[in-house]
Amino acid sequence: MKVLSTALLLSYSFLSSFVHANDLTNANEIITNANLAAYYAADDGSAQARMVIVDAQGNKQMRQFTILRKDQEDLGNQDMLVFFSRPTDVQGTVFRVVKKVTSDDDRWLYLPALDLVKRISAGDKRTSFVGAHFFYEDVSGRNPAEDNFTLLKTDDRFYTLKAVPKNTNSVEFDHYIAHIDKNTFLPMQVDFYSSQGKKTRSLAVLKTKVIDGFTTVMHSKITQHSDGSYTEMQFRKVKYNLGLPDNIFSERSLRNPPKAWLK
Amino acid sequence: MHKSAMSIVSIVFCIFVTCQSMASDIEKSEDDWSDDDWSEEVVSPWRFSGFAEAGYGYLLQSNIVQTNSPLSEITARFNLDYSAESFELVSKGELIYDDVLSNTFWKTRELHISFSPSNNTDIKLGRQILTWGTGDYIFLNDLFAKNWQSFFSGRDDQYLKAPSDSAKGTWYIGDYAIDLTWTPEFTPDIYLTGERFSFYSPQAQSIVAPADSFSVQKTKRAQWATRVSTNRNGVEYAFYGYKGFWPTPVGMTENKHQSQQLQAYFPKMNAWGASIRLPLAGGLFNVEYASYNSIEDNRGKSPTIANGQNRFLLGFEREVIKDLTASVQFYLEQTKHFDAFIAHSPIPKLAVDKNRQLLTLRLTYTALQQKLIYRVFTFYSPTDNDGYLKPSITYRYNDLWLFSAGANLFWGNEKHTFFGQHQQNSNVWFRIKAQF
Repeated sequence: MKVLSTALLLSYSFLSSFVHANDLTNANEIITNANLAAYYAADDGSAQARMVIVDAQGNKQMRQFTILRKDQEDLGNQDMLVFFSRPTDVQGTVFRVVKKVTSDDDRWLYLPALDLVKRISAGDKRTSFVGAHFFYEDVSGRNPAEDNFTLLKTDDRFYTLKAVPKNTNSVEFDHYIAHIDKNTFLPMQVDFYSSQGKKTRSLAVLKTKVIDGFTTVMHSKITQHSDGSYTEMQFRKVKYNLGLPDNIFSERSLRNPPKAWLK
Repeated sequence: MHKSAMSIVSIVFCIFVTCQSMASDIEKSEDDWSDDDWSEEVVSPWRFSGFAEAGYGYLLQSNIVQTNSPLSEITARFNLDYSAESFELVSKGELIYDDVLSNTFWKTRELHISFSPSNNTDIKLGRQILTWGTGDYIFLNDLFAKNWQSFFSGRDDQYLKAPSDSAKGTWYIGDYAIDLTWTPEFTPDIYLTGERFSFYSPQAQSIVAPADSFSVQKTKRAQWATRVSTNRNGVEYAFYGYKGFWPTPVGMTENKHQSQQLQAYFPKMNAWGASIRLPLAGGLFNVEYASYNSIEDNRGKSPTIANGQNRFLLGFEREVIKDLTASVQFYLEQTKHFDAFIAHSPIPKLAVDKNRQLLTLRLTYTALQQKLIYRVFTFYSPTDNDGYLKPSITYRYNDLWLFSAGANLFWGNEKHTFFGQHQQNSNVWFRIKAQF
């Protein structure tokens, strides 16, 4: 009897994929999955990244860096190190973050020309990350606890959610709409709106790739609609589950980068 | 202009042209961005970079110094690094034409090798920049060499730190990091001498600009500094120790060559201190203490040797509105043995307050995707009734060109106080930099 019921259940779920009965209906569950997919893939990872920053006049700037990340636990605190290699005036600059879910992140910037470990105050999460259109928060991930989510629409490809910040004073937008891929749970398009309902800023994923079983954003773009300026970010040499030791996420790595993990 | 100046101008011109062509290469490679994959880079252990920079400054008042331009120089910087599996070699040098000195010379900024002889040990040997402590333009436990001439003339902030030829070891034991630096030959600050800026002489009781005739008795003895630091849940604690000399010549001694005459020198000084830095109220809070023991004048009775001090600092920084960060500091400098100091001071009315106080405010506003940065830093001393305003604008046109302009404005009621003595040194400056 038990065997039969299992068989029935299996066939039912098989059918359900056609009628979308498997679709998630709880906005928070979708966001949790999206957060996992976008920021917590595997237990750790490394990647090389570059950004091209294009202003309203079309002038370009470039930033190139290597990222190391380790999760203390899924959906929990994370350690991150960002080592800059280009342009030459930021070469050797290292950015260290301890992302904390229940309190402000700890952030440091190492400036090699001064041998200075500068601590960065936590309040400015929505400040440009090294001159790019990406904010610090876009790089390390906005804490889902900061917003209230509602599911607007579910279609063949996307869950469309609306997010309204709990504390509107802490952000420059009124709300944002995220289109989350139903299969991978990656947010593929996020549009930020002003209180006048005008689209001010958009994040678009341009390319993904499956690496070690994790669908990974390889190319994304943030556009500032007020003047058409934008930043594109591209990744390469993405690796997961490297077994990064805990102790490299420390002040030591700012002055003495862990070369073995940066190749 | 000097012949050597002409040659450096031509070198700098070549660098600019090279930069331009490199910039167009960057453009080209960016245009290939539609390609799915990056072209594989050739990974070389060598890394070369640098910049060319021209800077000019102008004194706003007539001054007794020879020049009315404290900054007038062209610099070509070359960085060459070599990265191996087991060590890292860093070299940074500058070819400078300095119009104030009417001279062209080479300056080695950094030349050091670093390696890790064991899992928990890092060693760095050679000419290097050393920094620690929590102050912003105020130094308590950071007794490493500073370049005050650069600071006052509007050179880039990195030049505030002067290099020293040192050995630095860092040991990581548990959650603690222990740093020990040894500078075999004491490296003093690059203090004001009178070439670019004038200053107050307590002996002459007037503003002086001795320049070449400012003779200081040098010391070749060693200097040690140590720090023990740890981070507990985002709160940073550090303890410091120092054995060496005052970083500026705050003592007077008999001139070895011309008796009867006094000569400035660096009295011995030991120090210890502590600091805490932590996130608080959406910003950062720091507190630091240092005790300076002027061991040649333990009781504060010698008028020719600086007294010991207690130094205390409180600071808070946070973003006020988007892209505007403010930081405030309160600094207290207490003269130890103040009664003895006054009793033995030749001119007590010119003596510094027992508790000299300083308030600072830094405002940083960034615009145009951080390409345009407005900064203003103010020092104000309620006890000395003087101050120092340091505004600047930096514009990063692209990854190649950087333009900046600013001012160093001093004010005060009297000519003998810390900032008041520099009133005639107030200046404006601008700089153009091309990076490659």
